[in-house]
Amino acid sequence: MSSLTLQVPLFSAEAAGRTFVRGKGNIVAVQAATFQLLQGETIAIVGRSGSGKSTLLHIIAGLDVPSFGAVDWPALGAREQLRPGKVGMMFQSPSLVPSLDVAENVMLPLALLDVPGNTLDQAIRELARFGIADLAHKLPEELSGGQAQRVSLARALVARPRLVVADEPTGQLDHASGTALIEALLTWTAEANATLVIATHDLEIASRMKRSWQMDHGALALDNEIATK
Amino acid sequence: MTIQWIWGLLRTQPGRSIGFAAGLAMSVALLAMLGLFMHHSAASMTARSIATVPIDWQVELVPGADATGIESAIRNAASARVVEPVGYAKVNGFEFGTGTVQTTGEGKAVGLGPDYLTAFPQGVRLLSGNFSGAVLLQQTAANLHAGPGDTIILHRPGLPDVTTKVSGVVDLQNADSFFQPIGVPPGAAPQAPPDNAVLLPMPEWSSLFSEQAKTRPDSVRTELHVALDRTKLPTGPDDAYAKTLQQGHNFEARVAGSALLANNIAARLDAARGDALYARVLFFFLGAPGIALAALLSITVAASGRDGRRRDQSLLRLRGAPTSTILRFAAAEAITLGLSGVIVGLVLAGVLTPLLFGLNLLSSAGLSWALGSAMGGLALALGAILVPAWQTGRTLSVVSARQAIGRSRRPLWRTVGLDGILLVIAAIIYWRTAATGYQVVLATEGVAATAVDYTAFLAPVLLWMGAGLLTLRLVDWGLDRGRTALETILLPFAGPVAGAVAASIRRQRRRLAVGIALTALAFAFASSTAIFNTTYQAQARVDAELTNGADVTITGSAGAPAAARLRELGKISGVMGIQAMQHRYAYVGNDLQDLYGIDPGAIGTATNLSDAFFSGSTAAAVLAKLAQTPAGVLVSEETVTDYQLKLGDMLNLRLQGEDHQYHVVPFEFVGVVREFPTAPRDSFLVANAAYVAEKTGVDVRETVLMRVSGDVAAIKDAALRITETMPGLRVTSLADATHLIGSSLTAVDLSGLTRLELIFAALMVVGATGLVLALGLADRRKSFAVLTVLGAKRRHLAAFIWSEGGIVLVAGAAIGTLTGVLVAAILVKVLSGVFDPPPEGLAIPIGYLSGMVLLSLVATSIAVANAAREARIEPIQRLKELS
Repeated sequence: MSSLTLQVPLFSAEAAGRTFVRGKGNIVAVQAATFQLLQGETIAIVGRSGSGKSTLLHIIAGLDVPSFGAVDWPALGAREQLRPGKVGMMFQSPSLVPSLDVAENVMLPLALLDVPGNTLDQAIRELARFGIADLAHKLPEELSGGQAQRVSLARALVARPRLVVADEPTGQLDHASGTALIEALLTWTAEANATLVIATHDLEIASRMKRSWQMDHGALALDNEIATK
Repeated sequence: MTIQWIWGLLRTQPGRSIGFAAGLAMSVALLAMLGLFMHHSAASMTARSIATVPIDWQVELVPGADATGIESAIRNAASARVVEPVGYAKVNGFEFGTGTVQTTGEGKAVGLGPDYLTAFPQGVRLLSGNFSGAVLLQQTAANLHAGPGDTIILHRPGLPDVTTKVSGVVDLQNADSFFQPIGVPPGAAPQAPPDNAVLLPMPEWSSLFSEQAKTRPDSVRTELHVALDRTKLPTGPDDAYAKTLQQGHNFEARVAGSALLANNIAARLDAARGDALYARVLFFFLGAPGIALAALLSITVAASGRDGRRRDQSLLRLRGAPTSTILRFAAAEAITLGLSGVIVGLVLAGVLTPLLFGLNLLSSAGLSWALGSAMGGLALALGAILVPAWQTGRTLSVVSARQAIGRSRRPLWRTVGLDGILLVIAAIIYWRTAATGYQVVLATEGVAATAVDYTAFLAPVLLWMGAGLLTLRLVDWGLDRGRTALETILLPFAGPVAGAVAASIRRQRRRLAVGIALTALAFAFASSTAIFNTTYQAQARVDAELTNGADVTITGSAGAPAAARLRELGKISGVMGIQAMQHRYAYVGNDLQDLYGIDPGAIGTATNLSDAFFSGSTAAAVLAKLAQTPAGVLVSEETVTDYQLKLGDMLNLRLQGEDHQYHVVPFEFVGVVREFPTAPRDSFLVANAAYVAEKTGVDVRETVLMRVSGDVAAIKDAALRITETMPGLRVTSLADATHLIGSSLTAVDLSGLTRLELIFAALMVVGATGLVLALGLADRRKSFAVLTVLGAKRRHLAAFIWSEGGIVLVAGAAIGTLTGVLVAAILVKVLSGVFDPPPEGLAIPIGYLSGMVLLSLVATSIAVANAAREARIEPIQRLKELS
């Protein structure tokens, strides 16, 4: 297990899980899981729809808090300081601000970080990484689903976060485009020595990651080993 | 299925549904309340104007005419409640005295039937004694030094004297009307009522004057005094005038020259109907923008849900729903929200109507207006929801239905420049109105037909609409071109996200422009209404001051001049300034006019003399000129026009001298006067009192004007005590003047209407700023959730949300207030006939306008704070919900 390494983990979960109240009962979205994420890792979380992948990614990105157990970001700092600089998040559903064009959407994390200089150039470079620099001045509603996902990914990376969390990044792309996107993403991760966690149900995409974890009914299995207690 | 759809809408879009229903409720309530108030004010104006008419008809019988036949004709022509015969006989004089004999000049002996005073109680005030026998007029009793129990002598023309025993003394307050000559052509010089008269029981009068009627039929006449059944008169003064005039004509046709009619009630209604028409248009044009604005608010709220509705339609169509199903859902939504708005609106009107107007919405007139308003509200709901759904259903593709921002086409009105066209037309109409100074209401004296030139109101209406559209254009243009400037402005507040905020605002400029335009229109309505009402109230006070002359005025006559008590009156505590003024009559050609003799240098100490009272110069300059020219005279505008006078012209007037004969006195025309304290509206003259006294030999001042501070009623009472020994003196204050103005429009109590309008204006400002902004921000919840998950801190979100709210508020309030001032200025100009005299400037209600700004700031703050709070609540959940 990665917990055996001496590196300070980017993320650490100790018997952390998440339940949601539905009606009179609780639904367990993520069962108690214990794991760590280290710098430079690329991890695919594979599972069927509704298996809890997105919820787990939200917890890793600091967007959601576990209902029980504990989580921590030892190498990144407090949860409130994670975004937009240290963790980049790409959502499964459309998440672009409709009133900003593509370039402005990508520039948003830089603005929130108060990055000086020409942030437009940075945004264009990030868009070019995914072959969509020509869409820079389009509005989100003028994009296809796949284009919007690539823009969303560019936005997640533009602030050069140490941890990138992507929820079904190729979900709306054809196979070739999906493969190209994953290649670009892996290249970027390697260059930045960042950690990448993606949720996918595409086993071929998952196979491109260094590690592949399974999720089933909220239970997380790390590298063929069930991590859920 | 339809019920489920409606339930889902209400559950998922409660704010929009409540907002739409609330806007609709305001439209319905305002329309119902304004309608009822308009109806009631017309009725009260009719009632007030005829309340002081003591005798509706006076019918003089031609000698030899059949009184029974005439009475029958009266009852056939009109609904007469009472017909009472009255005999008038001329006497050469009255005489009384046990030691020293007192005599009077010629007078009248009047015979009244036993029921007369019961049938016509108005205007006859018993001062002493009773009505069992002969009753002397107050002046006659004073002249004769006679009272109850005394026996006076009546000198009959050509016949021996007769005597009668006095049983009482009365003050005949409607002597002008009571003794009026009947059948004189219109425009003839007015005849003063006799100074001396006695009222006799009809049997005694008949016994004393039946012989005189035979020997001197020219000196005896009989009238029938008629009280009509006023409950059968139409509500409005114009309709009531037309009816009473037609009834009078019908009577005249029936009697065919055997009787003459003085139609007093028609004459009074004739004077009131012009004011009533002004009142109607005033209510309409002050209220209509409010109703239109409330409707516009509803439509905007409905339109703000357009994108969601388009997406819903798209989903329904994807699932195979036909257009008829989609329209059925839309109709159900419209009817549900429409009925909700109508019910709330009617309840609101039902609660507010008694509180603001003291009226009942459940009266027949109220129910009619309530029903009409309800129908209008439902029509508005259907128009705002069903029609767009039908249009969208015809033209929308499934893909385009999912677009939210879009690069929409330029609207047609912008392409053709409709805003500019409307403003130019408004300017032309205003210029035409202002330049020609014509009256928007035409109610020609004696003519039943009346006319209102509604085109004059196109100026404020088109300005309102044009300003709204121009606001849309300017905001759209400014936010599109001025992104850099906007970013610079936002930088201190928005910091590093200023660029993103500016970009976002630019991209949403159409939506923001609608919000700004609506806010501007709400502010325009609030400010124009408040400014007009404040100006109106200020002028109502000026009108009352003009009518009364000063804070407290003592009016006397040549025989009993008020100035005789000037010294004592000046010593009353609280009197700040006091001046005595002559009130005479002078002939200009054949036209008898009021003449006021003043001390030009001192008159201003006792009364307010506005620059608007004079034409062509200031009050100070005109009075200085008069003071420098002893023989100078100020002439009213009407006389200047009628007699083609030029400044410096010599004007020969005929004034009554001490010998009671009229003599020519030369004057020099030195200025034009429009209004003067206590003067009538049309024609009058103002001259130097010293010159008038010198030339006429009569140095009495009939009127005293007092400027007072403190308790006016107490000062008036003190003046009454000082003057009570002088019969014929009348003491009045501003409060009395307001009642005396009668049906005059400025005397109509608009306080209820003003409160209603100001309350609704405030609600609409809140609705336009708070509600519209809140709904706009609600549409952008997903954007704010995205910003939050990207790591935006509270200050970043505040920058986005406050910038939008701030722009809507600041631009809307600024443009709206400016437009409101312009609309108020145009309304004041167009409705110049309402103001007597016209105001010198607008009265700006700083307190109310500041309150509006504060209120809108609070509404904006609540909307923004709520949006900011929502943006931070479970953004992930919000993203899932809104995806």
